[in-house]
Amino acid sequence: MSAAPGSSLWLLRHEIRLAWYGSAFSGGKRRPGTVSMVVWVLAMVIMHVLAFAVLAGLRKSGIGDALLGVAAGAVLAVCATFMLSTALKTCVTALFERGDLDLLLSSPLPSRSIFAVRLLGVAASTAALFLFLFAPFAHVAVLMGRPGMLAIYPAILALAALIACAAMLLTLALVRVLGARRTRTLAQVLAAVAGALLFLLSQAANFMPRGERGAMTEHTAQALLQHGLLAPGSPLWLPGRAALGDAVPLLGMIALALAAFVLTVGRTHRFFVRGLQQAAAIGRVAPAPAGGLRFRFRSNLFETMVIKEWRLIKRDPHLISQVLLQLIYLVPMLALVVRGNGAPGPLLGTGLTMLCSSLAGSLAWIVISAEDAPDLLRASPAAERAIRLAKLAAAVMPPLLLVALPLLWLLVRAPLPGLMAAFTVSASVLSAGLIVLWAGRPAQRSNFKGRGKENMLSTFLEMFSTLSWAALSWALISMTARATSWTLLAGAAALAVAFAVLLTAWLLRRNRG
Amino acid sequence: MNSAVPAPAASAVPALQLHALRKSFGRPAVDGLDLTVRRGELYALLGPNGAGKTTTLRMVTGLLAPDEGRVEVLGVDLARDPAAAKRRMAYLPDDALLYGKLKPTEYLEFVAGLWGLRPEEAEPRARRLLDWLDLSKHAHELTEGFSRGMKQKLALAGALIHEPELLILDEPLTGLDAAAARQVKDLLVSHVAGGGTVILTTHILEVAEKLAQRIGIIRQGRLIAEGTLDELRERTLGGSLEDVFLHLTEGA
Repeated sequence: MSAAPGSSLWLLRHEIRLAWYGSAFSGGKRRPGTVSMVVWVLAMVIMHVLAFAVLAGLRKSGIGDALLGVAAGAVLAVCATFMLSTALKTCVTALFERGDLDLLLSSPLPSRSIFAVRLLGVAASTAALFLFLFAPFAHVAVLMGRPGMLAIYPAILALAALIACAAMLLTLALVRVLGARRTRTLAQVLAAVAGALLFLLSQAANFMPRGERGAMTEHTAQALLQHGLLAPGSPLWLPGRAALGDAVPLLGMIALALAAFVLTVGRTHRFFVRGLQQAAAIGRVAPAPAGGLRFRFRSNLFETMVIKEWRLIKRDPHLISQVLLQLIYLVPMLALVVRGNGAPGPLLGTGLTMLCSSLAGSLAWIVISAEDAPDLLRASPAAERAIRLAKLAAAVMPPLLLVALPLLWLLVRAPLPGLMAAFTVSASVLSAGLIVLWAGRPAQRSNFKGRGKENMLSTFLEMFSTLSWAALSWALISMTARATSWTLLAGAAALAVAFAVLLTAWLLRRNRG
Repeated sequence: MNSAVPAPAASAVPALQLHALRKSFGRPAVDGLDLTVRRGELYALLGPNGAGKTTTLRMVTGLLAPDEGRVEVLGVDLARDPAAAKRRMAYLPDDALLYGKLKPTEYLEFVAGLWGLRPEEAEPRARRLLDWLDLSKHAHELTEGFSRGMKQKLALAGALIHEPELLILDEPLTGLDAAAARQVKDLLVSHVAGGGTVILTTHILEVAEKLAQRIGIIRQGRLIAEGTLDELRERTLGGSLEDVFLHLTEGA
């Protein structure tokens, strides 16, 4: 592809090249290596097999096109919420984090083409995952004699473009109303909520009284399907029909996406530039508080360290949005704890263990690996052991405090399962902290999102640790109801893996950079 | 001043003594360095890029373990009792050791905690330092929005809060404006006048020429010349310190 330097096409090529480098699995390499390519190809093959299984099943069941349109529409609606989440995150990155916009805007390139290419980049990265997931359906459908389903491609791209425009407009509007600093945090929070929206909706049924739930759901669904918004003929399912190759809705969707894109670029590129200028002034907007300097010196090193780490955690927008996402997943579980009549299911203990473990892993990364001034700590007379202990405590305490109340409630209602859950939650949180302490490598705080790529080993160890403690939680709580030799064996195996992971991390501790 | 002296009086103990210090990263960076800095003097360590200045300072401050040799800070062996040695010294590298997401007041609270200061002694010092360095009006802002000069000044406040006897600075004037640079130079002179010791590296030879009582020049990890400016001039028959420096580092 040859394009004149400085043209929109040339800029687009630059953007694509950056995205390609960014997709490399390991931090050290610039482009995706052979291993990553093999993984991608394998994943694509698996997706095609899955698509074949689903489509063959659908054909056998003989579902009509109208109902299939409903199903496709529902899937697209699900995608749309996730797309909104991705698009919001990408917009925040595009506006506030990628440092190259200063360079681009100081060049003679027109700001309109810079904005257009950036928006296209947001749309493309929004569409990428869903093309990967659903394109195999299109390919397999062609082989099975339904070429119309190739419309999945334009339908997903059009939807992604629409959502990207919406996300960009929302982000820019937030900048206008709230200013750049708050937008950054709020957009990340919104992205987290959008990503979990469907999970929350799916859990809504749990909040209904148990006996009536089944009947109610069925009744509502029936009513909606026959007459209302959810009937197969409803315009709500037009995007679904478009994805299956219905020409008129498809053309309509593409036209809508193009119009949205052109209008967004045409109308808001100036505001985009202004939003950027505001973003550049980030961090200098806080007004001076009344009164003189206020200090709170502490005589205790442990307290000093923990307070400092918590301040840094509190001021990290990425971390806050991730914690928020985990809290959202926690809410339905807590509802189960509070509402649950009788013994809590093993699922609850497993879920709490997994959430707390992954949260502790993130916090430990920020507190231990992403220390901003390691030389300051080493040049100080404070003992290294004391510093590391305080850091570990700073990472481990928040998740434990977060679940302390529900765990206490659980302990009161069902002492034995509650005790088991408390044990696995504490152990998993402590393990996550220790793994980062031993196997973690120094890293840049700003690289929070890419931390998995930087230190694959630590990430894998954390993952195995989380899974094995969660499995142990499942086994232990199941055993309190009914002990079988199978659960006993599974529990023992999970415990062994958990300790093996810890041992591995400990053995690797001297290799820290 | 000899290390063989059995029980030297406190004032006779040098501020810093390096014995055959060696560090290699594939090739030797510091190669058997012997150095003595007396108490109450301002010592400038000069050398071309890559001569081993920063490596030496990092070993002195305990950030880097030497391959061989010994470091004594105010008579305390750094390897044997690192906490005691570090308690009386401060290190200010050219890249300030700061936290972008902390405010200046919070940064000083943290540093004071690391050095184990009691709150009642730390607070007046912190106020005085922030006032003196013109940072009080920015005390509520996050450090990440600061200019390079402001960051350097805050790091300096952090280095001074425990009132160190030995102040070690690596390129302390980089990025400072004229007023801030003057402030720092005045501070170094008054620190020495009050009986403290300063060791600094700098590329601005004029600073060394004006401030330093003694100058050491290192090249390829070895001390190739040391003395007052006049002594060095005599040795090289040069005029300015620049002439002396270039003569020694290029000619040798």
